[in-house]
Amino acid sequence: MALPRATSFTPAVRLLGSCYKQTPFVPHLSAGWRDISGGEYRRPGQPRYNTPIWKRFDFHKGVQGMQKHFTLLKEEFLSRWIGPEGKPLVEHMLEQTRVIWEFRGPESLDQWTVSSDCEIGGRSEAYLKLGRNNTTCLLYGTLCSVPPRDGETRYSGYCTMRSKPPKGSFDSKKHHDWTSFNTLHLRIRGDGRPWMINVGAETYFSHQKDDMYSYFLYTRGGPYWQDVKIPFSKFFLSSRGRIQDDQHPLWLDKINTVGFTLGDKADGPFQLEIDFVAVCNDRAHTEQFAYEAYKRNPEV
Amino acid sequence: MNCARCLLRLQSPGILAASVRAAVRRTAQHQLSTVPSGITPHTTYSQTLRHFHGSTALSKSQAVPTDQEEKDKSLITYDDLFERVARETKTKATFNRVVDVFCNRDIRRRGHVEFIYAALKKMTEFGVEKDLTVYNKLLDVFPKEVFVPRNFIQRMFNHYPRQQECGVQLLEQMENYGVMPNMDTKVLIVQIFGEKGHPMRKFQRIMYWFPKFKNANPFPIPRQLPEDPVDLARLCLTRIANDLDSKVTVHQTPCSDITESGEEVTYPLIVGIQSPDQMELLARHNPERPVFVEGPFPLWLRKNCVYYYILRADPLPPDQKVELPYDPERSFYFPLQLDLDLDRDLGDDDSFDVDDVDEGPVFAMCMTSQGNQATLNQWISGLQENNPVLGLVPTLFRLEAGPAELLGVSDPDPGHGYRPGGAEETQTGAETEIVVEEEEVHPLSQRGKQ
Repeated sequence: MALPRATSFTPAVRLLGSCYKQTPFVPHLSAGWRDISGGEYRRPGQPRYNTPIWKRFDFHKGVQGMQKHFTLLKEEFLSRWIGPEGKPLVEHMLEQTRVIWEFRGPESLDQWTVSSDCEIGGRSEAYLKLGRNNTTCLLYGTLCSVPPRDGETRYSGYCTMRSKPPKGSFDSKKHHDWTSFNTLHLRIRGDGRPWMINVGAETYFSHQKDDMYSYFLYTRGGPYWQDVKIPFSKFFLSSRGRIQDDQHPLWLDKINTVGFTLGDKADGPFQLEIDFVAVCNDRAHTEQFAYEAYKRNPEV
Repeated sequence: MNCARCLLRLQSPGILAASVRAAVRRTAQHQLSTVPSGITPHTTYSQTLRHFHGSTALSKSQAVPTDQEEKDKSLITYDDLFERVARETKTKATFNRVVDVFCNRDIRRRGHVEFIYAALKKMTEFGVEKDLTVYNKLLDVFPKEVFVPRNFIQRMFNHYPRQQECGVQLLEQMENYGVMPNMDTKVLIVQIFGEKGHPMRKFQRIMYWFPKFKNANPFPIPRQLPEDPVDLARLCLTRIANDLDSKVTVHQTPCSDITESGEEVTYPLIVGIQSPDQMELLARHNPERPVFVEGPFPLWLRKNCVYYYILRADPLPPDQKVELPYDPERSFYFPLQLDLDLDRDLGDDDSFDVDDVDEGPVFAMCMTSQGNQATLNQWISGLQENNPVLGLVPTLFRLEAGPAELLGVSDPDPGHGYRPGGAEETQTGAETEIVVEEEEVHPLSQRGKQ
């Protein structure tokens, strides 16, 4: 989950970024420390990973990393000669659908992060695995909405699965560019619970880093697959779990993450099976934005 | 005390001389009483200031020390109040009585913020968390027109922040339980906090977003689930079948009977669903390949979980798949298959570039109140009336261990296909280790029929 710092920023953003960090010299070291040392994100309750870096030095891993990153660099360099995003221009222009994630093997699960409210001291559990015939992904676990007894947390009970932000060579930032599409298409099979789809877009200022665009995903339940089409115009802006007063349409040119969140306060087991996540261009849908953007809600 | 006297002089001369005199006397008393007890003059100063700032009603209040004593254990007393008044029954009526007791006890409603917080916590215990009138009554506890800002400075700064926070908290709890405020709530908020306070903003937000998402669910669930288990099963099965042609059959209604030997026999509920398409699929099924009864699979209806079972077959291996040609005489009115390549442009390909998930067909679904093999056997026998091919096909049972057994144990009443939330919670604690989709074919029994 460690976001790469200051790798492909534009100069202006880099300036702002240095303002945002309090001291200009030390945080660069501390921010990238987890990247350098290779440790995982430390969950609450886990002991600190104290092994010094020279005891964990692995030459083989370094060579593998170099191979991977130089291969990516070569691909990035060569794909520009083929066309935009590595596809021929005709194909790029006439593209009406694009499958973003499909689950065909264990390595496809590496692109997702699963977390639950045990991060804040709750007792929900969530796991991710491949489905029965290895062609779907199954998110399952139990939801428990008892808030942790820390005296300040009032609500608890969520389980979430979120895609990792795409990365280029040398962990540079990359984004999904979905400007030629207007609808999110999912093929899912749930158990009747309502879910929420969260789309995280790249933002300019650091105080917008918690902004998310969300919409609901209602599942029917039962043994049949369900094709869900959600127009991007329906997504509403929320930040830190609070729906915002002034709404803006989602800008599709720099999408970082897509996530699924369950938090319906019904304690018990849950499961969600996902076949694929795709975007498509629904030409019958012409709506730009589903909420009033010309005034604040409520009007002040 | 000089400062205080200056401030006193600064106050408008319109204040009644009597009240001023009373205030001065009180400050004098105050000084006398507090200075020996070791409180610094600074604190006394701020106390007196607060008295001057407050309304005339406040200046007539009792001396400070008793006030302090009351405040110290305020939260405990309000929790206690609920426990004392509603000792035997916890209903809406007793909750309202507690609120009345509090309102009538003190005309100044001292400690109302603490009382409202305590009441909000107790609402689930009394079962009134979804009742709008109770929320309005609770909002009525706030004194009116005291917290309304009267000039632009008060309006600019956060006027009476504790009270506004409390009001927002109340509205947030309404929001969490899906209670839509009404016009009474708005009138109350305007009377208490004014037109533009934070609670009013919260109210406006709720009123904007609630109706937007009220009907967002394409598969709505009724707010009150049907009590009758047969109706509930029918609702669930039609929901998951997603086929208007499908027919629900009640194979067995729940009843209990006493045999000649005196044993009590209970017949569990069995409700099945099958559509004509599924019957056709089953008729075409190769009798040499077995069909499976699988389950139980969970289905959630708001906060209730029910379980269903399905009858299905394994997917055909690729060499045995046959494409059935369309029968042209099935419909004389319109062609069932069109092989026209209409003017398709280059960009008109709307299909997704994914492989289809290869899964076996589903032939029928059922819900029972007892998920054991004997019950499901009855269901298969019932299905056999309409699907004679089931007599030739071997049927295997692939039942998961966990919920099926627990369903039998924790559900003494055979008439209930679902358990309320409390029972559910204990059950989930027991089955945390169970992996949902991993099934063992342990009660593998083959049914040779006829």
